[in-house]
Amino acid sequence: MKLEKKIVEKYILTIGLFFLTFYLLEKLLTGFWLTLFLLFGINVILAISLNIINGWIGFFSIGHGGIMLVGAYVAAFLTIPTSFKQGVINLHLPAFILNTQLPFLPALLIGSIFGVITGIILVLPAIRLKGFYFCAGTLGFNIIMATLAENLPKITNGPMGLRHLPSYTNIWWVWGMAVFLAYITLMVKKSYIGRAFISIGKDPCLAEHMGINLLKYKIYAFGLSAFFTSIGAILWIHLILNLFPTAFDLTFVFSVVTMIVIGGMGSISGSIIGAAIVTLFAEILAPIEEGFNFFGFQVPQALGLTTILLGVLLIVVLIKKPEGIMGEREISLNFLKGKKIS
Amino acid sequence: MSYFIQQVLNALGWGSVIALLAAGYTMTFGIIGLVNFAYGEVFMVGAFAAYFALTVFNLPFWAGILAGIIGALVIGLAIERIAFKPVRGSGMITLFITSLGASIIVKNLTIMLFDDSLKNFKVPKFFSGVYLLGDIIIFKKSIIIFLVTIILGIMLVYLVKNTKLGIAMRGISYDSKISETLGVNTERTIIITFVIASLLGGIAGTLWGMLFGSVKGSMGAIPVVDAFIASVIGGVGNVFGAMVSGYILAIGTGIFIAYLPQELVGLKPLFVWVVFFIILIFKPSGLFRANIK
Repeated sequence: MKLEKKIVEKYILTIGLFFLTFYLLEKLLTGFWLTLFLLFGINVILAISLNIINGWIGFFSIGHGGIMLVGAYVAAFLTIPTSFKQGVINLHLPAFILNTQLPFLPALLIGSIFGVITGIILVLPAIRLKGFYFCAGTLGFNIIMATLAENLPKITNGPMGLRHLPSYTNIWWVWGMAVFLAYITLMVKKSYIGRAFISIGKDPCLAEHMGINLLKYKIYAFGLSAFFTSIGAILWIHLILNLFPTAFDLTFVFSVVTMIVIGGMGSISGSIIGAAIVTLFAEILAPIEEGFNFFGFQVPQALGLTTILLGVLLIVVLIKKPEGIMGEREISLNFLKGKKIS
Repeated sequence: MSYFIQQVLNALGWGSVIALLAAGYTMTFGIIGLVNFAYGEVFMVGAFAAYFALTVFNLPFWAGILAGIIGALVIGLAIERIAFKPVRGSGMITLFITSLGASIIVKNLTIMLFDDSLKNFKVPKFFSGVYLLGDIIIFKKSIIIFLVTIILGIMLVYLVKNTKLGIAMRGISYDSKISETLGVNTERTIIITFVIASLLGGIAGTLWGMLFGSVKGSMGAIPVVDAFIASVIGGVGNVFGAMVSGYILAIGTGIFIAYLPQELVGLKPLFVWVVFFIILIFKPSGLFRANIK
């Protein structure tokens, strides 16, 4: 087989460019800006993986919080120091979990595999329920998972949560994963599988008539989405260093939904733009929530202001521009040059 | 046996609140295909308005109910005007997302202004008191609430089944374009439906305050989910079915909790969802006949 030299060069150049960028950013960014950048990366992962379900397959899931909880708990059991696990009296885990502490990569993989299993459970309602009913079913899934996590203290330490997680998340993990995910999804979108996903979203009946096995591709889509969602969640808990049953509640999922609605459902670049907007929005407004002194006028503390404004933003976008910023298009060189692509 | 009957009677008050909400839910659900997730916030604002009238301003009992209804009406119609009207007709999912957004806005705004602590609701004198029947305790307030709900329910069923307005509502839920050509004022009917639904939400909120003696900012989250499930189980658009399913769900939850081991009582929210999944998978049209296709 003849390797096309030009394409190989292009790949090496792109990867080198990314490495250089992240290396520089790691040296330059500190404190608040580093956290902001990491949050942005995690949000990109979460938004793109949610977009696979909500944008492509056409099932509107708000139950990804349940998948995140499962993946995050499994990974947290594996990475938390043994001293904490053995110190909690209520925790009745098998001995091999209590006595081991794995490095990050195995924990990440095992957590995501459990996340994938949970995600495939979500396919079960997707077989029978359509449209809005699926949406409500996934909401129920979310609530069920949070309730279980809260009320089985022997396994999850209940509402006390898990603490003392080691700080593993850094630019390399987050942005390596984000770039990898964006690359994979862009490739998938061009491939047979991606076209099958999108055709299921457009018209499931027609897709079935064209010879697409609906169940198989639904399982693929939910598996792919659940894998990266759990990775996002695991990176998230190793950034904020604790895990409570309410960590991935409806408000959290709602912010991810806001990202993909703003960016455009079904567009990878749209998800990235949406994640950037929402992250910036939330982090810039966070100091205002705390209350501040404005020229001698004391602005009171306003907790929850960010969520309120996100809700306003979501409604305004849905009314004024329902397809979001990007619609279903992607940013490419042709797009930047102003050529119209389908 | 008396333990069982006691649990059923205890669930009546909660069941009435759920039944009222489910009736309001099923009307908006049936007529414009809107799953109003913000309905829990209409309910909450109604309860808060009643709380302000009764506890803070020390007004008489009837003024409290009136305040609850007016508060719910104002917020319900405002949400309809701002969040639902501009996106009407662009699909159930879009409507659902905007209602989710509206719900989160109103809830967080309330929590921001009045924080999320329990607020003492002043319950009128004639609501307190118990009757003893053998070893079964019957609370006077749950009987009053139950009776109010039954009367409202009969009025609603009559309205939907027999009046011109109800026929217009059912016509719109069947096909809004054809009913408009046949001379139904669609816009007005939708507004009236929202008014009725908000009114029910306000009454339910006030009754909730009377029942539990306290209100808080995040109180709408659980009843709204229960009411939604009741409206799905009861057959979409069917007021009678929704109310009966509301009672079934509440009594079922009460019995489920009563026979659960003490340390698993927190699993209460699971019951309604398990029922929801079972019904949707085995009988998607609901237990009762749906009013729309």
